[in-house]
Amino acid sequence: MAHAPIIADLRRNLGTAGVLYAPSDLAVYDCDAFTVARRAPDAVVFPATTEQVVAVVRTCRKHKAPIIARGAGTGLAGGATPLHGGVLVMLTRMNRVLEVSLPDRMACVEAGVPNIQLARRLAGTGYHFAPDPSSQGASTIGGNVATNAGGPHTLKYGVTVNHVLGLEAVLADGSVLTAGPVENPSMLPFQTILCGSEGTLGVVTKVWVRLTRNPESCRALRAVFPTVDNATATVSRMIAAGIIPAAMELMDRGILEAVEEAFHFGFPPDAGAVLIVEIDGPEAGLDETQRRIVEFCRGGSACEVLEAQSAEEREQLWKCRKLSVGAVGRLNNSYIIQDGVVPRTRLPHVLRRIADIAIKHRVRIVNVAHAGDGNVHPILLFDQRDREEVRRALAAGREVLGECIACGGSVTAEHGIGVEKIEFMEKLFGPSDLLAMRRLRDAFDPLGRMNPGKLIPA
Amino acid sequence: MEAMNNPTTRFLPQCETVLPPDEAAVTQAVRRAAAEKRAVYPVGGATRLAYGPPSEVPGIALVTTALNRVIEHAADDMTITVEAGVTLTEVTRILALKRQRLPIDVPQPTRATIGGTIATNTFGPRRFGHRTVRDYLIGVRAVDGRGEVFAGGGRVVKNVAGYDMPRMLVGSMGTLGLITQVSLMVRPAAETAAMVAATLPDVHAAERLIARLMQSPTWPVSIDLLSSGWGYEDTGETVHDVEQVQLLAGFEGGWAEVRGDVDFLCQEWKNSSAHKVRVFDEADTPGMWQWMADLPAQLQAHVLPSRAVTLACRIAEIDPGCALLIHAGDGIVKVRLSDEAVSDLPSLLTTKLRPAAEELGGNLVVLVAEPAGVLKRDDVWGKSHNAGEVMHAVKGSFDPEGILNPGRWVF
Repeated sequence: MAHAPIIADLRRNLGTAGVLYAPSDLAVYDCDAFTVARRAPDAVVFPATTEQVVAVVRTCRKHKAPIIARGAGTGLAGGATPLHGGVLVMLTRMNRVLEVSLPDRMACVEAGVPNIQLARRLAGTGYHFAPDPSSQGASTIGGNVATNAGGPHTLKYGVTVNHVLGLEAVLADGSVLTAGPVENPSMLPFQTILCGSEGTLGVVTKVWVRLTRNPESCRALRAVFPTVDNATATVSRMIAAGIIPAAMELMDRGILEAVEEAFHFGFPPDAGAVLIVEIDGPEAGLDETQRRIVEFCRGGSACEVLEAQSAEEREQLWKCRKLSVGAVGRLNNSYIIQDGVVPRTRLPHVLRRIADIAIKHRVRIVNVAHAGDGNVHPILLFDQRDREEVRRALAAGREVLGECIACGGSVTAEHGIGVEKIEFMEKLFGPSDLLAMRRLRDAFDPLGRMNPGKLIPA
Repeated sequence: MEAMNNPTTRFLPQCETVLPPDEAAVTQAVRRAAAEKRAVYPVGGATRLAYGPPSEVPGIALVTTALNRVIEHAADDMTITVEAGVTLTEVTRILALKRQRLPIDVPQPTRATIGGTIATNTFGPRRFGHRTVRDYLIGVRAVDGRGEVFAGGGRVVKNVAGYDMPRMLVGSMGTLGLITQVSLMVRPAAETAAMVAATLPDVHAAERLIARLMQSPTWPVSIDLLSSGWGYEDTGETVHDVEQVQLLAGFEGGWAEVRGDVDFLCQEWKNSSAHKVRVFDEADTPGMWQWMADLPAQLQAHVLPSRAVTLACRIAEIDPGCALLIHAGDGIVKVRLSDEAVSDLPSLLTTKLRPAAEELGGNLVVLVAEPAGVLKRDDVWGKSHNAGEVMHAVKGSFDPEGILNPGRWVF
């Protein structure tokens, strides 16, 4: 491919070190964290500036090549998989925090800045960037924007779109769009339209994010319930009573076993489910809120409620949640982490159904959930070498998502559609809804070169 | 005389009025208009018809006020789904029955509809703490310029399936689709509210206090700076010195936290250069927010928050007789011009007011394009961005014949 005219053009614009095209170099870019669909790109480029991204987009336009933007490649839905080949634009060299303005509660970062890098830069300032996806140690802000990423604290603070004040993006025609950071009433809200657009409307190169003040104080507690039902019913009752904690995470017995085996946190062996609840805000009201939450947990048959007494103990509580998905690796060699969402009162129902579906398809499913949002993450375990088991796991996953739709929910709360869930779009939306989305896409990219095959069915 | 005072007749051309009872009737009306190549002007409570220049393209006024059903208040899920013509007062009333709320300040809420609020992205002083309706909108149904219905989002609070069609429509002034139904996430009611107000010798004293307030351990939901000239005096304070400014910080939440914040701030402000510090209690505070939302500002400028006071001072130099309301935490300056300035408005906008905002990296739009017909489209909306081409492409996708609200926004 070295002789291909597009490679020559790309190398002219980015230098030889900025372009990969040898098959052995391309192989590792054939998927993101969704490993089921794979296809290597025809080239991988590493632009360091917006101008270089413009040059890449123009080159691709000239050679009619697809353009796929990629950050850290942690996406769980295959959004960064080059399904139709083309040029994969790695944004990881655009990794500068350009500005932090505390009086404006705003930071400006290049798209390839890892979420954690911004978090570290803000440490000690009294402010933070609120979206905290589990991938935050690696995932980039640009990727967070492209997938409209969430995380445990979205319950109180909202998802990425609620924290994007502005962005710069290179559009399919090579033009550079700037929206924000100052809101402009004479402009369409592109900073929200591009959020969650999975690279299909443009390549985001720069983001102005909202900074959130750190809460004055924080409390966390862990409640152990005999059954998942007890825990989910407690969550529903708390939300209905108007208690919106900063985070409310659920782990079921299956995942607890994995965590316990790996890290020995000391959960009672008969625990059916654990809730981790964090509340934050002004010190003045926290004791009372915590008292009410403890009351709800006890009233919901919690057999143990452990209130963290120090920052270290709080860290420890979170640690078991944050390490949980990784611990699943101990249970089986392969797994799919699903991402469904239901109206919050339907949480008990959907987790019961997930248990039924596991039995029906003979697939082991363990669950973590951002319970306060009604966002479930069933983890389906299988052996990738066993094709029959893979088939059953995929079938079970589809049935779980079908159940979420039947409950009035959606097939993805924070991971995205990508390639993984594209078949569900027609179940979730009607033909005219999808047509409207296609028209929006066509307005940005009439030739269909930006991340083709993603988000909406062709 | 009545016709002259009616903004429908002054801002929309001679129009047939259509009052569809449901979405199907909206679809029919838009299809008919599309076939006849007539314009469709969406009208909710008609509270903001002067936002945008008058249009001369003949067409129909499609009034949404009969789309007034509450589809579902899923109180335990903390979401509500309503038709677009439901008023903000009605939304507030229904939510209050379950001790919930939508914390958006909108002028004339007894008339203003939720659809209109979304289409115009209307906000008020509590934007600082609660942001705008954009952050509550989770689902939408709308009719495009072909008369085709499209839906986006859903009824769950977290959802990334497909493009964010609901938020795309926020602030799009009815030019991409006529909103027929919306789903919103809501918040629990606040236990209490209070506001601390300081009378300060000048704007520089206010600027210092705002900077300290932003860094203080308190959590205000509104931070507003008021110049004289708005009639704040009528609320019980007599402000003799016209140079004086009022700084108001509003709080909402649990009893303990609001009391803690108010006590802290009173103490701090009493030890400042403030001439006077007073506290509005929970009976008066919502009224103060509503009063500020209702203030008859003609212009609205957006800059970064740290530049808001600078911009306000420049505007006051350009029109010394103006009255200013600054949503300080959000960088928003609202202006009521003096009669003298109004008489010279088109040129003042082009040569002085808008450049002042743009020099500070911001923009300025006209909220009330009075007197009708004097201000043209560019006078009202300016041309301060580079997105023209893609905006027109989006517009063409949703409204190929350009019949939705023509001439009223940037299209």
